[in-house]
Amino acid sequence: MASITDCVSEGLKYPFNDIKKLLCFGAIFAILNLMSTAISVKNLDIFRAVTREINQSNATALSLKFTQLPVNDIYLVIALGIVSFIITLFVMGYQYDIVKFSIEKKEDLPGFGDILKLFVNGIKILIVTVAYNIIPALVLIIGTLLIGDSSVFPVIAVISAILFIIAFFLQIMAVNNMVANDSLKKAFDFGEITDKIANLGWGKYIGIVLFTIIIFMIVNVAAGFILSFLTALFARAFNQAIVVSAFIGILEGLFITSYTSVFYNRVCGSIYREAIK
Amino acid sequence: MILDIYKDALEYSAKDWKTLVILGVVALFSFLLLPAFLITGYNYRVINNAVHGIINGRDPLPEFNDIIDMFVDGVKVVIVQIVYLIIPVIIFFIFAFVAGNLTGFASAVIMLIGCLLTLVVGIASCLMCQMGLCHMAYHEGAFSKAFEFKEIKEVIDEIGWFECIATYIGLIIITVVISFVVTALIGLIFTMFGISGAVLGANPGGIFVFGAMVNSLITMFIVGPYLSIFNARSIGLLYTMQI
Repeated sequence: MASITDCVSEGLKYPFNDIKKLLCFGAIFAILNLMSTAISVKNLDIFRAVTREINQSNATALSLKFTQLPVNDIYLVIALGIVSFIITLFVMGYQYDIVKFSIEKKEDLPGFGDILKLFVNGIKILIVTVAYNIIPALVLIIGTLLIGDSSVFPVIAVISAILFIIAFFLQIMAVNNMVANDSLKKAFDFGEITDKIANLGWGKYIGIVLFTIIIFMIVNVAAGFILSFLTALFARAFNQAIVVSAFIGILEGLFITSYTSVFYNRVCGSIYREAIK
Repeated sequence: MILDIYKDALEYSAKDWKTLVILGVVALFSFLLLPAFLITGYNYRVINNAVHGIINGRDPLPEFNDIIDMFVDGVKVVIVQIVYLIIPVIIFFIFAFVAGNLTGFASAVIMLIGCLLTLVVGIASCLMCQMGLCHMAYHEGAFSKAFEFKEIKEVIDEIGWFECIATYIGLIIITVVISFVVTALIGLIFTMFGISGAVLGANPGGIFVFGAMVNSLITMFIVGPYLSIFNARSIGLLYTMQI
């Protein structure tokens, strides 16, 4: 019977088993970070152009014509957005594999051999994520639309936050259940999911997830400290904001996001392994 | 009994100066946040050794290896401490809030009562927190055991509240005295250097700055880690005093 601590520290050690694959995974995150930097730079250009148009032609933002906008920039942003969405699917597919390896208790990291399968698995995880988060999101959106900004709004916000949290906790087990049985249907088999959580004990389940998240945040915050020192250092060296932010984005994706992501999914998988005992 | 604990803990912490220096280096880098948890994790290991042993003067210091496990243990310790220390803070804020809405004499009285209550609850929760950590270490690091208030209270009852608090106060006194004496000694030595240098015609300013530097280095690398191991060991041994 492994305790909470063992699961978490095993998860923290696991990414070091195969550093090459971890860095491959990190390279994907680095590309994603670069793309999001590019998207925000281009967005800035678009906003700038829109503001200029509005100032010159006395129009409002809604009455601008499409030809008045910087069309090429918009196409570029859309293209980048689509590409980074596809890459995100690959990332999700890889996370699927990590959970799978964790449930099967394999010690090595999954490879990138079957790209099509990664893609399909990524879509599966995306579907589960959307399906679980759609109810609280709808509550939030519809509540906001119906009520507007009256004094009841905080109540709606709190309700939807609670729903989001419940969905988050259920979603972890749902993804595990789906991965273990290799079928999308099992992700929505609530009876089985709650049975498995009850088997582990709700208190222990919530405790282990919270503890994992706390460790996750501590690692991220510490990495953020180091990165901000590096940023200050590089900002001294090159006087180029974009170069510095791109460089920091690459470093962050390569080492930190990949590590924390592998760690988190590994622990999620081992929760399932504990639950079916 | 209390004196035996202190004697053992003082000897125990002085066993390996290399560990002290390693801890000091880790403490130096604790502004990067992760090493700070390593220190609490190491203290947890010391407690762990102590609650599973007896006063015999032969226990070795825990190894400084397996950093990830140490980090996870450290995070656990910090979580337990935060949960325990939240109670007196909440009490204090409730009283401060009530007192803020009153005026004059009533406000002062409420605030005074609040401060006293916070002090009492604070001492109790510090003690419970340390004992909770020991209890957790004794039960192989099970998280829920740190919050089994009933069991922890029974443990403290068996040791005796008076002994516990006396040991605790003694710890604080020893800590303060050791750090004060070391600082004063080094300060004295360098003052003498400075004065004799000044008599010989050298500028004493540089010597004083150097002295202050040596002082802070020794405090950081030797005395600080020594005292933290000493505290952890004493609390762990106190836990084993239950009959």
